[in-house]
Amino acid sequence: MAQASSVVTDDMRALVGVEGAPMTLEVEKTNCRMFARSVGHTDAIYYDEAAAKARGHRSIVAPPGFMGTPVFHPGQAPTGPAQSRGYSIPYKRVLNGGTEYEYFPENGVICAGDTITARSKISAFEETEGSLGPMLITTRETTYTNQDGKVVAKMYGTTIQY
Amino acid sequence: MPDTETKFEITDEMRAQYGVDSAPWTYEVTTTSVRMYARGIGSDDPIHYDVEFAKAQGFRSIVAPLGYIGTPVYLPGKNDPTFGFPRREGGPRLNIPFRGLLDGGTETEYFDYICAGDVLAETSHLADLKYRETGRPMLFVTNESVYTNVATGKVVVKQRLTSIHM
Amino acid sequence: MGEQVYFEDVREGEEIPQLKKNCSTQQLVLWAAGSGDFYQIHYDKDFAQRTGLKGLIVHGALKNAFLGQLLHDWVGEQGQIRRFGCSYRGMDEPDQDILCRGIVTKKRSEDGRHYVELDVWTENPDGKKTSPGTAIVTLPSRA
Repeated sequence: MAQASSVVTDDMRALVGVEGAPMTLEVEKTNCRMFARSVGHTDAIYYDEAAAKARGHRSIVAPPGFMGTPVFHPGQAPTGPAQSRGYSIPYKRVLNGGTEYEYFPENGVICAGDTITARSKISAFEETEGSLGPMLITTRETTYTNQDGKVVAKMYGTTIQY
Repeated sequence: MPDTETKFEITDEMRAQYGVDSAPWTYEVTTTSVRMYARGIGSDDPIHYDVEFAKAQGFRSIVAPLGYIGTPVYLPGKNDPTFGFPRREGGPRLNIPFRGLLDGGTETEYFDYICAGDVLAETSHLADLKYRETGRPMLFVTNESVYTNVATGKVVVKQRLTSIHM
Repeated sequence: MGEQVYFEDVREGEEIPQLKKNCSTQQLVLWAAGSGDFYQIHYDKDFAQRTGLKGLIVHGALKNAFLGQLLHDWVGEQGQIRRFGCSYRGMDEPDQDILCRGIVTKKRSEDGRHYVELDVWTENPDGKKTSPGTAIVTLPSRA
């Protein structure tokens, strides 16, 4: 039941569980290395193709949290804090509430050369009253499918608006 | 504070390194890296972003913007953590005493275009040293690189880079 | 990476080897390039202060990736990360230690896989958990 002061509209509720347009992510040796370098990874499987192959992988492995780089189209929304889509709410401030990754390595370890399709949906809207005032907590779920149609990972993200 | 006390001298040993090629290092050109460079220069030309568009124009894939000659393979401990370029074994050892570093210029000569999917082998050598001591001492180091497309064996780019140490 | 850790070697309540990080502003710029997140509060001090922050802050997602490294380096070649994540409860600043830690909370074997559950977090120099989270990994068995 929505409270009288709820910012969640019927239109928003109708979005829950609806998948957005799929996004293509490319996993390459260069961007795996860049990601690994920016975290400070030291394991050679993130940098050196020969080392990765020697450990039984197809190519350089995507480091934890790296699902590839979205194909960038000029003029379309750049990457930034996750924003609402198709609706607006009266809160101005946005916080990234957290991220969780789930991997399904039996379906394939993400490696350079993979093309990943990401499909996102809103799983829930939740309203609470916090120390910062009323908040809207939006949870999203993204499913990552590789070029063989296998689900290799999922991401659960929380956005807090207040 | 300008460093006017530190001195440098170009020796015959350094001059002997002119033209001595390094071992090759691999540079990769990928769809993602081409797009990122294109974003970096503020281009919205689909030739740098859209593979289908580029192929319809007769290219193998999206075309690297002028100035982008691939990303050096990065291996921790083997590349410079700030600039990303490979630290070659046996390369020139200049022991430059100055802390200031500026980009002094780039000259690039193209023999062919570069597309995503290309893998290039780059060799580099010291081409010139100039030392100016009037006012604040400045050392100009010029390196020349030759980039060869590994698949075709053709030289695609020659580049001269000058760095200013002061 | 050290020697391979096995399921049997791990005890509930045990802490895994810590990973200490300290982000220079350069590392924040590297992360911008690595992740594709170019939000200015992580490299433009004036911008960050205009949004009401004291100064630059470390990306939450970078701390999450640090926890990924903590786990990857611990599980070794034969272990696998099944699930990991954290929430962002406190801000970290550049040039301050960020200590990445994990404690084993549960062990279980199911369908031939050996799962280890952990609490993981990043900690600031005051000992405050700025990114608490959980993880599930699988480890090889000596059996």
